[in-house]
Amino acid sequence: MVNYSYFPGCNLKTNAKGFEKSAIAVSKKLEAELVEIPNWNCCGTVHTMTADNLMKRIAPVRVLARSRKHVEELENSSQDIVTLCSMCNSTLKIVNSEVLVDPEKLEVINFQLEDDEETYSSDMEVKHFLEILRDNIGFAKIANKVVKPLKGFKVTPYYGCMLLHPEEAKIDDEEMPSVLENLIESLGAEVVFSPLFKYCCGSYHIVSDEDIVTRQVQKIIDSAMIRGANALAVACPLCAYNLDQQQKMLMEKTGKKEAIPIFYFSQLMALAMGEPVEINHFEDHKIDPRILLKELKFK
Amino acid sequence: MSKAKTESKNTKKETTGNVKIYIMGSAYEVPATLTIMKAMEYAGYKFTRGSGCRAGFCGACSTVYRKEGDFRIYTALACQTMVEDGMVLTQLPFVPADKPTYDINNLTPSANTILRFYPEVARCLSCNACSKVCPQDIQVMDYIQFSLQGQIDKAAEESFDCVSCGLCAIRCPAEIPQYHVAELARRLYGKYLMIAPSYLDERIKEIIDGKYEDGFKELMALSKEKLEERYKNRDKE
Amino acid sequence: MSYEYIKFGQEEKEFIKKIEEISGQNIYSCYQCGKCSAGCPFSSKMDLTVNQLINHIQMGQKEKVLQANTHWICASCLTCTIRCPREIDVAALMEAVREYILREEPEKVKIADIPKDVLEKLPNIALVGSFRKMTG
Repeated sequence: MVNYSYFPGCNLKTNAKGFEKSAIAVSKKLEAELVEIPNWNCCGTVHTMTADNLMKRIAPVRVLARSRKHVEELENSSQDIVTLCSMCNSTLKIVNSEVLVDPEKLEVINFQLEDDEETYSSDMEVKHFLEILRDNIGFAKIANKVVKPLKGFKVTPYYGCMLLHPEEAKIDDEEMPSVLENLIESLGAEVVFSPLFKYCCGSYHIVSDEDIVTRQVQKIIDSAMIRGANALAVACPLCAYNLDQQQKMLMEKTGKKEAIPIFYFSQLMALAMGEPVEINHFEDHKIDPRILLKELKFK
Repeated sequence: MSKAKTESKNTKKETTGNVKIYIMGSAYEVPATLTIMKAMEYAGYKFTRGSGCRAGFCGACSTVYRKEGDFRIYTALACQTMVEDGMVLTQLPFVPADKPTYDINNLTPSANTILRFYPEVARCLSCNACSKVCPQDIQVMDYIQFSLQGQIDKAAEESFDCVSCGLCAIRCPAEIPQYHVAELARRLYGKYLMIAPSYLDERIKEIIDGKYEDGFKELMALSKEKLEERYKNRDKE
Repeated sequence: MSYEYIKFGQEEKEFIKKIEEISGQNIYSCYQCGKCSAGCPFSSKMDLTVNQLINHIQMGQKEKVLQANTHWICASCLTCTIRCPREIDVAALMEAVREYILREEPEKVKIADIPKDVLEKLPNIALVGSFRKMTG
């Protein structure tokens, strides 16, 4: 059993509870438990690309420092901080590599963290849970734990931007990734490739310019459905929210008949590994995945 | 212990002499044994605002000061902090902050409720300036983060000692009125999350049913002397 | 056909310098191949394409840059950044223009104008992201 210092990020406590609960459940089953950092703070979601604004880098560095403390208290742990949310993952990874190559930046940020005894010394590694699944656990072991293969599931892996961009944060090849594909296959589902696998969903524009998001979501969903997908697998709570909620909105406003449910990759794992269906919090989804489960007679 | 307080305690000189302080730029010699508030009165200031209970509970007397040769901004409650030689200080009679109105009966205890009334909470940079200035030693940033995460119970508990002095809001680069957010979190906690103690309902029922009527009547009939005697001999906790 | 004379005085130079300073990029690395605009998922929503905006920065045409919606439409997906053959962090240039404006006028998104029902349903990740990108 390995314990990982796990950083949830705000959304896994609010509207993506199913993502967290299913991931923690399967992590226990795979003997690589995600243990939450006590007292964590928001990482800032989006990374600042300015060269001079260190203020916006305090939050992610503080997360790394708190995780460092957590690792010391954890038994049988690695020097990794593990995230589920792909936006947290990229923000933390980018800042982690920035302060590693530019210790002067770190020194200035540490000055702010000094009084709180939360200084950081560039000795953590940020990992996405998908990387742990691929590199530390392996898809063969995952396939071994599958008790209910996902027969009839035709899943399009949707990576979104932040799992693959930029160089410092990517978890796989940026133009030809395979981690979600391999995972989906190991669960007994069929992979349906869509060329829009990392076509941006519109992200935070949902706050002030919903039309942008609507247009992006329509393209992403159509591209998957045309190719015969009946589900989408994602790793980002914001992608999930946009794809899910905008489909519902389109059905209500334009009379669009069809929609496909959005699964977090961990929810698919939890289903295949026979975890109780309630941990997935499917009731929080606008396009209810339970309809698909019923259609496919998945029990 | 906040940094400001610890330091002022450690460096407090055991002296009965005078110290030199600067109130809004003017120098005054005041006895070293006074609190900031008393020192200001000694210097001739009269408080019409920025003073209340004088016991560290009401949060009316927030003070901002610096010390000679020190770039840091220190904060304190004027009624609770002793003067130090070389203090450059001013009072904050009031902290302006928007305070939306809401009906606590129609809310849900969630992150989105916090964000509906205080969307600026999402601007938090986790710089922790708020916790550093808090004269009550509350982990202000942590409770703002708990609010953002929807952990209303933790936010309410962490902010419990808040006296609403508003110093956090003055220092916040994200312009969050933390103490108002905390109040909303505590109200949500009290209304929706806190488990109501069973004995409270029992006692209310006893009062309504008149169980204590005779006792009250007996007390009301006593003379002043008898009442005083009873008071002196009461059970003390 | 009308021609426009390009000024290149102190004001223009200062603007370019500031954008380079905030972004940490050399604006003249760009040779206008247009790969950023071709791959951008939001190109059709932009009034100037990404390479056009960069061209205006190179020429110091501050007003044209600030009036464009390009940098506000950019959602920092970084497709341009990973594909630039000159290894310019193109998204950082968009960020620099945003920051340049926000440091003077800090609220592109007026937080007080966001409808309450929207605030009540949006995930906090969206609000944090939006406020970090659209407010100063």
